[in-house]
Amino acid sequence: MTDLTREGIKATVGEEMVKVTVDGQEFEAPKGQMLIQAAQNHGTYIPRFCWHPRMRPVGMCRMCLVEMETPKGRVLITACTNPVADGMVIDTKSEVAKKAQEGVLEFLLINHPLDCPVCDRGGECPLQDHTIAYGPGESRFVEEKRHFEKPIKISDLVYLDRERCILCARCTRFSDEVSGDPLIEFLDRGNFTQINTFPDQPFASYFSGNTVQICPVGALTSKAYRFRARPWDLVSIESTCPHCTTGDRITVQASQNEVLRFLGVDAEATNWSWLSDKCRFGFEFIESPDRLTSPMIRQEDGSFTEATWTEALELVASRFTEIRDAGKGLAVLGGARGTNEDAYALAKFAREVLSTNNIDCQLDDGLDPQFLAATADRARISDLDSARTILVWGPDLKEEHPTLYLRVRHAVQEKGARLVLIHPWRNGLDDRATHKLTYRPGSGAALLTRLQSEEGEVATALAEGPLVALLGRTGYGEDGRLAEAVAAHVRSLGGKLLPLARRSNVYGALDMGLAPSLAPGRATTDNPGKNAAQILEGLAEGSILGLLMVGSDPVRDVPNGELARQALEQARFVVALDQFLTDSSRLADVVLPVEGFAEKEGSVTNVEGRVQKVNRVVPGPGQSRPDWSILDDLSDRMGRSINLVSAEAIAKEIATEVPAYVGVTWDMLDAEKDGVVVPLPEATQPLVYLPADTPGKSFSGELVLHYARTMFDDGVLMRHGPSLEHLAPGAVAILNFDDARRLGLSDGDQADIKTSQGSARLTVRIDPSMNHGLVYVPFNQPGIPSLGSDPVVTVTKA
Amino acid sequence: MSEWSEAVQERARAIVAQYPQRRSAVMPLLFLAMAQDGYLTEAGMIEVAEWTGITPAQVAAVATFYTMYKREPVGKYLVSCCTSISCMLLGSDQVMHALEEEAGALHGQVDAEGLIGVEHAECLGACGGAPAVQVNYELIEGVTPDKARQLVQWLRKARPETVNTDELQQLFGGTTSFEWAIKEEVGAVGPYPAFESFGSTAPVSADGTES
Amino acid sequence: MTYPLLVTKRMTDFPSDSHTLERYEATGGYKAARASVGMTRDQLVEAIKNSGLLGRGGAAFSAGLKWSFLAPARPAYLVVNADESEPGTFKDRQLLERDPHQLVEGIIITAIANEVHRAFVYVRGEYPKPARRVQKAIDEAYAEGYLGKGIFGSSYDLDVVVHLGAGAYICGEETALINSLEGLRGEPRLKPPYFPAAVGLYNKPTIVNNVETLSNLPHILNQGIDSYKGLGHEADTGTFLFSISGHVKKPGNYELPHGITWNELIFDIAGGMRRERRLKTWIPGGASAPWFVPSDHLELPITKDDTAKAGSMLGSGAVVVMDEATCVVRAAERIVRFFAHESCGQCTPCREGTSWLEMILRRIEAGQGREVDFDLLLDVSDNISIGLAWPPRMTTICPLGPSAVSPIISITKYFKGEIMTHIHDGGCPLPA
Ligand SMILES: Cc1cc2nc3c(=O)[nH]c(=O)nc-3n(C[C@H](O)[C@H](O)[C@H](O)COP(=O)(O)O)c2cc1C
Ligand code: SF4
Ligand code: FES
Repeated sequence: MTDLTREGIKATVGEEMVKVTVDGQEFEAPKGQMLIQAAQNHGTYIPRFCWHPRMRPVGMCRMCLVEMETPKGRVLITACTNPVADGMVIDTKSEVAKKAQEGVLEFLLINHPLDCPVCDRGGECPLQDHTIAYGPGESRFVEEKRHFEKPIKISDLVYLDRERCILCARCTRFSDEVSGDPLIEFLDRGNFTQINTFPDQPFASYFSGNTVQICPVGALTSKAYRFRARPWDLVSIESTCPHCTTGDRITVQASQNEVLRFLGVDAEATNWSWLSDKCRFGFEFIESPDRLTSPMIRQEDGSFTEATWTEALELVASRFTEIRDAGKGLAVLGGARGTNEDAYALAKFAREVLSTNNIDCQLDDGLDPQFLAATADRARISDLDSARTILVWGPDLKEEHPTLYLRVRHAVQEKGARLVLIHPWRNGLDDRATHKLTYRPGSGAALLTRLQSEEGEVATALAEGPLVALLGRTGYGEDGRLAEAVAAHVRSLGGKLLPLARRSNVYGALDMGLAPSLAPGRATTDNPGKNAAQILEGLAEGSILGLLMVGSDPVRDVPNGELARQALEQARFVVALDQFLTDSSRLADVVLPVEGFAEKEGSVTNVEGRVQKVNRVVPGPGQSRPDWSILDDLSDRMGRSINLVSAEAIAKEIATEVPAYVGVTWDMLDAEKDGVVVPLPEATQPLVYLPADTPGKSFSGELVLHYARTMFDDGVLMRHGPSLEHLAPGAVAILNFDDARRLGLSDGDQADIKTSQGSARLTVRIDPSMNHGLVYVPFNQPGIPSLGSDPVVTVTKA
Repeated sequence: MSEWSEAVQERARAIVAQYPQRRSAVMPLLFLAMAQDGYLTEAGMIEVAEWTGITPAQVAAVATFYTMYKREPVGKYLVSCCTSISCMLLGSDQVMHALEEEAGALHGQVDAEGLIGVEHAECLGACGGAPAVQVNYELIEGVTPDKARQLVQWLRKARPETVNTDELQQLFGGTTSFEWAIKEEVGAVGPYPAFESFGSTAPVSADGTES
Repeated sequence: MTYPLLVTKRMTDFPSDSHTLERYEATGGYKAARASVGMTRDQLVEAIKNSGLLGRGGAAFSAGLKWSFLAPARPAYLVVNADESEPGTFKDRQLLERDPHQLVEGIIITAIANEVHRAFVYVRGEYPKPARRVQKAIDEAYAEGYLGKGIFGSSYDLDVVVHLGAGAYICGEETALINSLEGLRGEPRLKPPYFPAAVGLYNKPTIVNNVETLSNLPHILNQGIDSYKGLGHEADTGTFLFSISGHVKKPGNYELPHGITWNELIFDIAGGMRRERRLKTWIPGGASAPWFVPSDHLELPITKDDTAKAGSMLGSGAVVVMDEATCVVRAAERIVRFFAHESCGQCTPCREGTSWLEMILRRIEAGQGREVDFDLLLDVSDNISIGLAWPPRMTTICPLGPSAVSPIISITKYFKGEIMTHIHDGGCPLPA
């Protein structure tokens, strides 16, 4: 635990209701709610700058001053720091209150530059709005304004103009209190107070973009949006973020058919308006000049030539039909990044047209589909808020599930939940963990056995519910089935579960049947097909001949990238539905351009089973088409029509045909602010798997590889976004000092890292916090081959 | 890791041990960092951040809040002249002027040699002995413009290793706020205006952190 | 006329060694602390409550009552406020330098009364000598077993740590002080909670008391409540240290009972005006207080209530006296400058308003005042301290911002002519 930071006021809103009178109107509000919020809920807007509903109040700007009756007469109070109390009588518009509010506004303006015409915030600026509503006509301030160098770059993504800053502490609070990386702070004092970073230590937070969104003026602006548009030119359409499985609500803003910005929407169920920088700035790929605009066919020499849709589809149909009819095996990889409608179309196409159950939307980096699709006792994200104990035994949430990371952080820090954190190494939540256990990948089962059998603080903490467990693979050296065993234990303790898998719509895709063992609606198929790893092996050894890749890049995205490359090279015929030429689709025979996020309408399903809409904001580029329509067209050409006519029609079919989704229509989703959670079946999977340290797989004395993802890597969407492409940390091998010395390595040396599945030459970094016997290598960094999922590793000096 | 000498690290550990939470040690550690270089460097703040488990930005937020943490060299002798109300009433502006002129440095500056820094300060708690001046925070009360000039000349010539408030008072002071009476037995602070010659060294008997 | 002394008695009787442990013990020192080791929290809190002791840090709040508010959570902390920085105030410095054991004994009593095992003495950074003296006294007390494990042979542990400020007046405000001690910026915390006794240092119950307040405690316990009360004047029990500075012949700290008049204080006790000039105005209770003028206030008794009724306060007991040759615009500018310089910068009205006022005053003083500036001064002040009432109707988190308005209220009320002359004549009419 780190030391306490500023405590401030924590609003604990209870059930009990109290009577309050605001401007003569009496109403009831929950005890403990801040007056500013209670008044707003009942139609009285009290002006404010510093208050933000998702952060502790600081009462600094003093804009929300109102008058309260007391036995000793009226007093001025700030509505943002005073919770409602029974019998409270408030006047927000009295002479005195108005005088105070107008005074504050004048004070804020005396040092504020009047550069609204060139400010990104012009038109959506509360200071501008309040000035029109409450402000003085002309300035009585004849002195020289405060000057700062403007604007300064405080990170790769964010610029700061200190002259515009009104010192509301929203950005500093966000980074300290919400995201836990206090890199931007108040410096100096009094009238010289400014916001800044430490020299040469940029505001390198994964969440920096949120400060741009919550800055009430134009002091913080983002590189991606600066000077790109004026607010009144923007089209804003609500949608669901295409990057994580949390289903974060966003507003997509576009101008002249170009997407220019994502903003977080304050959805209670999911992201509370926050977004990671990967999500917020991960819109640039949409407008990338590298987007595919027409079908392409690969020539003998490996180059691609553009083709018409008819040419391309005829070729695909004939080759797939040939392989299918020869009984030689076809397979489908991908589909976890699209909509449920596209996933449904793909599942139907695979089973009815390709006649295969070799379907996997996960890329050998996830968990058992049965487990993911049908976890009973599934938690809601909001259960974290009332948990007594939270167990996180899975990927580093900060790297892979950023808004869940924020929610867990909040639950621990603000709601007092206890956090049991189990991870091979350092983790984004370390500073908030009540109990932190580390272990070597490969020996998780032994640790679990200990937790189950031995008494101790951790066991006691886990036994004290409500318990919510977030479970997944901590890295690729981890047995994917360990999480199931942990889940069984959690279930035996009466806890609830959130299983953690990757790719935004993986849960929707599984629900639509994009798994070897699942039929649409989370039903089990009779004769399961092959999973991603088996498909790749099958392709490599020739037992499978044809592959359809849908928005997937196995070469870069499966742990064993080398196997994927071999598979694609050996395959007889490969088709890719994609937005870009990737390392994988480059090896395909036919590449078909598809519409992507913000270009199509549909529904998606998040980790809780929450179904939400994604919406069309701009047209797709060139001749790109939605997946379903390509698949429908192909099905006709292959003589087994799947009869799909529109995404909306597919949605209707899902709402009648897919068991868990019955009745979930687009109309319903459009009407429900936070979407709809589809019901989960009872625990169907037996969960009897009890892994133990497999004999012969005991790693004592050897080095073990912790191979896990970072938020920014060499993924396709990042490669094609100018703001994000250079943020990947790069490939290094991190070792403990003792291990390094034993191997004759010092910081900065080159070393060869070898597993049974791959090898790479990497720069060595020595980190004292690294555990003994462990080597950490970040996954999928630019220009580096993959190392696979075997945790046994050798390191030798190059 | 630490750039500080073993002795300084020893001192830092003792300072941290005095507090239930190590972040509380940030202020004394900043003084300690200043004592190394004569002013607060970026490296010093980074070092303090490591000792207290907070970010350098958080250290800077604290360091820049207080006037006594100097971000630029202030010379070997920092001469501070109180110009708040009581001292002003008794002519401190003239004393300040004399100091600036004699040192050849204006408020916030250091003389050409880098020996003497001059600043005006807010109330130093010596109003009864106004005007008040401090050398490395060691007080002199009842200073006249003439005495102020002599002070600067003396510092240039004598270059004492430490400055002692009683000695300074005797040489350059006048009326005092109250009878000082007792001579200070130990030398005061030097060679830089830093605080490591005192500050708490009390044995803390309660062990462990409390919260 | 002489008055009986309490907290400054030892240093008056034994000027050469009042700070030593020997002298302290030879004159009855640590008797009260030893006795309180055997007393319960209730007994001690009741005794101090009944003594009527009011805090000497400026707010004059009952010390015993404050202690009784201490929340039950433990650990609890004691923080001694030795940040003395209000312009005009220099009394705590004398107590720290010249009778530090008296404070240490007060700390021990307060700690026992509040079940505190760790106390901090927050001394302003510009007080190295006082800090050294207190540190030495603490070291001596440790050596004697009066501090540390099992004090006075009991099972009670008490540690005391001296913590230095680093130049920020606002850290005298108790919640800012606590933030500062926690290693945060010295910014005052939001109220409620109104008292650190509920939630204070490390979010634990915390007692904050001034040096002088604690220095009174041994005397209260030693001589009994009635005798202690008898030294004072009605609700203002005990003695009070006044710091007098400015244009008087004998500036200094004076330990006095309440109830004497300002005339007595300035002319009899402080020796009257220098150079036989006429008294123009004085600040009755530190830079934050609205000023008094001879025509209205000279015969007023010095009590908490009479001063409040007349629209000011005794605050920390700092009296700053100004003679007829003083330029009030300049004096006001100096005080407003202080508050602008010391504003922590959180609250918009304080951060922006105090600097604005300073700029306007400086302009008037430099002869660039405009006719509208008089009203502007008042209206900007009004926006910091609505209605310009006393005590202020604050628009801010702490009273610092509204304090900056006191000199403006005072000079516009009593010296409008002089301000207008500055504006009309292009500068100060008084000889520099
Ligand atoms: C702006 C401001 C500055 C203050 N400065 C001091 C100070 O320097 N010393 C002090 O003892 N109290 C100071 N106080 C009062 C403290 O907040 C607190 O009331 C006091 O230390 C309590 O101790 P007491 O009850 O013993 O007086 C200040 C208050 C404010 C609002
Ligand atoms: S009134 Fe001034 S000093 Fe007090 S909290 Fe507000 S800004 Fe800080
Ligand atoms: S919104 Fe209440 S003080 Fe800023």
